[in-house]
Amino acid sequence: MSATVDTLSAATQERRRARRENWHLLRRRPSFIIGSLISLFWIACAILGDHVTPYNPLNYTTKPTLTPRSGHWFGTDKIGRDIFSRVIAGARDVLLVAPAAAVLGVLFGTILGMIMGYRRGWVDLLFSRFIEALLALPVILIGLLILTLADTSPLLGAITFHSRKLLVIYIVALLFTPIVARTVRSAVIGERELDYVTSAKLRGESGVYIMSREILPNIMGPIIVELTVRIGYAIFTVSTLSFLGVGIQRPSPDWGLAISDGRDLLRANIWWPITFPALAIATLVVGVNLIADSIQSVYDR
Amino acid sequence: MLRYVAKRLLLSLVTLWLITTIVFLMVKLLPGDPARALSGPQAPEASVEALRFKLGLKDPFFSQYWRVLKGLVTLDFGHSWRNQRIEVWKGLLAPALFRSSKLAGLAMLITAPLAIVAGLVAARKRDTLIDRGIVMVGLATSSIPEFVTGALLAVVFGLNLHWLKPIASIPRHSSVITQLHYLLLPALAMAIVYFGYIARMMRSGAAKALESDYVRTATMKGLTDGQVIRRHVLRNALAPTITVMSVQIGYLFGGIIGVEAVTNYQGLATVILNAATNKDLPVLQYAVIVIAVIYMAATLLADITIAWLNPRARLDLDSA
Repeated sequence: MSATVDTLSAATQERRRARRENWHLLRRRPSFIIGSLISLFWIACAILGDHVTPYNPLNYTTKPTLTPRSGHWFGTDKIGRDIFSRVIAGARDVLLVAPAAAVLGVLFGTILGMIMGYRRGWVDLLFSRFIEALLALPVILIGLLILTLADTSPLLGAITFHSRKLLVIYIVALLFTPIVARTVRSAVIGERELDYVTSAKLRGESGVYIMSREILPNIMGPIIVELTVRIGYAIFTVSTLSFLGVGIQRPSPDWGLAISDGRDLLRANIWWPITFPALAIATLVVGVNLIADSIQSVYDR
Repeated sequence: MLRYVAKRLLLSLVTLWLITTIVFLMVKLLPGDPARALSGPQAPEASVEALRFKLGLKDPFFSQYWRVLKGLVTLDFGHSWRNQRIEVWKGLLAPALFRSSKLAGLAMLITAPLAIVAGLVAARKRDTLIDRGIVMVGLATSSIPEFVTGALLAVVFGLNLHWLKPIASIPRHSSVITQLHYLLLPALAMAIVYFGYIARMMRSGAAKALESDYVRTATMKGLTDGQVIRRHVLRNALAPTITVMSVQIGYLFGGIIGVEAVTNYQGLATVILNAATNKDLPVLQYAVIVIAVIYMAATLLADITIAWLNPRARLDLDSA
């Protein structure tokens, strides 16, 4: 018995060492540093939000569609709200909804993928077919369909502003579950024939114990990679859904919404209400993806 | 080969049936009251109930399910809920799909050759500044949502430089050249997004091929660089690239909605977003299914092409 305890702690120490080494490598990658700086900037904006903006992002402050000028660096939108303030405050909703959706999606997907990969047999076969089918469905369109359907429900329709965000979180999480499950499943299949799993089985450990205490720590690498990649996709998906009118709702200063509101103004040569929120989305997703890409190359090394 | 195609086709049919069932169940089982939403909150319950009967929402569950499956085979998707005279397929989805295909086709035409060349160049100049540049640009462009790229292009090339039309609402009965002029901006937006994925895949495929024994043999045999690339590297690196491109076609039609909406191009986006605002569920439901069918057809075609290029790939399905 004591021998097993020793090998267990040795394995844990080995993992800790690998983690330290990965972190050390990560810190020296320029793309990781740049990505982190961009992301941290937007996270700071999301936390501070309207406490630091020069104007209230929700109230009109002056004349509509003023060009960028001193006092209104990014100009004003079509009802006279300060765009600079709205871009800063607009980080909050998307950085609340998207990471939450990604975390939940990875959680669901990990549970499903572990069960599929560990149990195999008909459970795996059934869910694999099911996942194959789900992956053929365009994520944005399914999101649009479900959210539209939810809007016809008197029950969900009566729900307030904040729960809308919750609804978007759950739906995006569910949309991400199959693809995460597929990744985790193949990682588990790579592990389950290894000696440590066999010896745990011989010790008479339960399936839940083996999955959560033995296999899970060893597949944390691919799961962390999947999580960072999913956060990028979640920002992509949530802002697209908001842009299409079914995600985060008005009067939130959300960037996708702002682009949706500003696109008609392009006809009148008014470029600023859509340019600044577009640049905000672009920098945030690139920042997050730079982080995801660095983590991926460190783990795949 | 024939056996492989037959097997692959059968699998696709099973997946199609599953997709249809999932979408049908989603619409049926999620809480929602479309007839009430269509009639408005003030409408008397009796007229809402009448509408439920008229739309077939009161039919037995399995007869509704059967209607959806049958409709898929006969391309009869029923009528729009908003306007009962308009057929979902002939009147709405088919023409919209045709217009969106023009856009998607143009985007692929622009992006595929560029991305393949960029991937090859990156692989040959591995770990140089050019390689890093191509990879970074690819990563950045492919992670930005299509509608954001479209918006930024419209501002820069449409409003500032006046090279392209910022709004892609094509006038009726315009010539092919005029159409192209309008289409270029949304197509470019999509091309930019898909460039990254394809270039990346091509790069890793080509890098693997360049390191292989057969390329070394070919080089030692005295073939020129061009010959090695054409005969050996390209052929081997294209297989994963074709797979990625075919998978992208599915996303292409998903992402096209954002680009079309931001540039006002009258394709699938108009139909789908109108259906969403009007709670016209059959249109949305079939739009999802039709796009899934396109995605599946594309992956099927890609798998068959790859199996034809590389007989080893046919074995994968046998062992699965």
